Amino acid sequence: MTRPWIATALTASALAAGWLWLTLSGAVSDLFLPPPRELWDALLDLLQNGYKSRPLWEHIADSLIRVFAGFGLGAAVGTLLGLLMGYLPIVDALAAPFVEFLRPLPQLAYLVLLIIWLGIGETSKITLLFLAALPVSAVAARDGVRNVSQARVRVAQSLGASEWQIFRHVVFPSALAEIFTGARLAVGIVYGTLIASEIIAGTTGIGWMILDAGRFLRSDYVFVGILIIGFMGIALDRLLLAAEARWVHWAGRQ
Amino acid sequence: MHDWRSVALGSLSVATGLIVWYLIGALNLVSTDLLAGPADVWAALVDILHNGYRDTTLAQNILATLGRCLAGFAAAAVLGVPLGLWMGLSRMADAAINFIIQFLRPLPPLSYLVLLILWFGAGDLSKIALLFMGAFPTITTATMAGVRQVSAQRIQAARSLGATPRQVLFFVVFPASLSTIFIGLRIALAGAFSSVVAAELMAASDGLGWMVFSASRFLRTDIILLGIILLGLFGMGLSRTLVVIDKRLIHWRGRE
Repeated sequence: MTRPWIATALTASALAAGWLWLTLSGAVSDLFLPPPRELWDALLDLLQNGYKSRPLWEHIADSLIRVFAGFGLGAAVGTLLGLLMGYLPIVDALAAPFVEFLRPLPQLAYLVLLIIWLGIGETSKITLLFLAALPVSAVAARDGVRNVSQARVRVAQSLGASEWQIFRHVVFPSALAEIFTGARLAVGIVYGTLIASEIIAGTTGIGWMILDAGRFLRSDYVFVGILIIGFMGIALDRLLLAAEARWVHWAGRQ
Repeated sequence: MHDWRSVALGSLSVATGLIVWYLIGALNLVSTDLLAGPADVWAALVDILHNGYRDTTLAQNILATLGRCLAGFAAAAVLGVPLGLWMGLSRMADAAINFIIQFLRPLPPLSYLVLLILWFGAGDLSKIALLFMGAFPTITTATMAGVRQVSAQRIQAARSLGATPRQVLFFVVFPASLSTIFIGLRIALAGAFSSVVAAELMAASDGLGWMVFSASRFLRTDIILLGIILLGLFGMGLSRTLVVIDKRLIHWRGRE
């Protein structure tokens, strides 16, 4: 049997050859698909001169700050709400209709309302990301609390643990694995919404750079921006996986 | 807690929300320019049902949004499930294709929307391509994961009873991976519904997303809120529908 990596190498080189042939033979205009050489030049140009008088790292940093602020606030509030919803059925019954409504609602639908209310600054961007992260985190924390084994809670009770001790030492650690799963989902959604938030009359951010370059038909900058945003997304997900492996090292081994 | 009690509490909480919303407008706490009241939204609904919104009827906008969403999603499912099955069964197919799919998967759809508009124009094709590209990697990955977790014992049992490879695929592997496939389909449909609104923001002349953005230009918060409520209800409806199909089709879930 042939080795799998040969298949990977074959398709990768076929893709590269197709790209070269399409662009260098002139079958496809540079406008639609820039050749590799142009892409490389665009990357060097962005690294040296930045985009629209701001260095590249500043765009990346601005985007990351928005993601972390929106995700951090949304995950914190959402997890707290979800823990309460899982622990107290009355909170669940009261909050569930709003969470269930907000969760499948396309984030861009309320974007315009946030702009009207909060203006076009950072507040509306971070609020959008906050609202995107909140329902996912809440549902994950609620399900995490609900799935805690009753036997463990009873054991702790019969050993004389107080309500708070049970929550702190039994329920919360048991729910933590699902809270982290929810956090990874939330980061994905926030990351997808980031570009939408940067549509709003901004002048910074990697998502804004892609949209702005698209407006001027600079597809080489668009491609470089997509690659940067792709690698940033993978890095963020890896970061959360590492945090999970460190803090919830017992996950999947119960 | 009893089921009817949580329904009652939920209704109570929704009703409280509506009353607060009404009072904000009635007591002039916030200008109606910034937040239309429930009565305004109702009036907007009646008006749009009768007269339409800027030469489009409400039904046309709803059908445009749902049609795009389902077209992109269906194309992704029709292509993604067989491809995922193949990749799950064959190491070579996995090695040849998976790296492309794993590169596409974490990309936010809005990042390549600009390119798709450049390639396919501002019509429906670029929107459906966007939804397809968002849903396809999720569905394929979930299907592949589903196939990988089918127990080898079952496949061997079917083989030793004389099943052909085709029979093993259709009667053992596919049903056993169906529950994982459905999780992928649900995530993909939710993502497609989010992206369709984004696509309608960038370029469209109908659809619920277009209606909301067009209304925002004229600060018509009544129409914006109407659109948000409709989008929320349709989003809930879509995800509920898949949950119901899931329960009917995979009645053995959680009982294996």
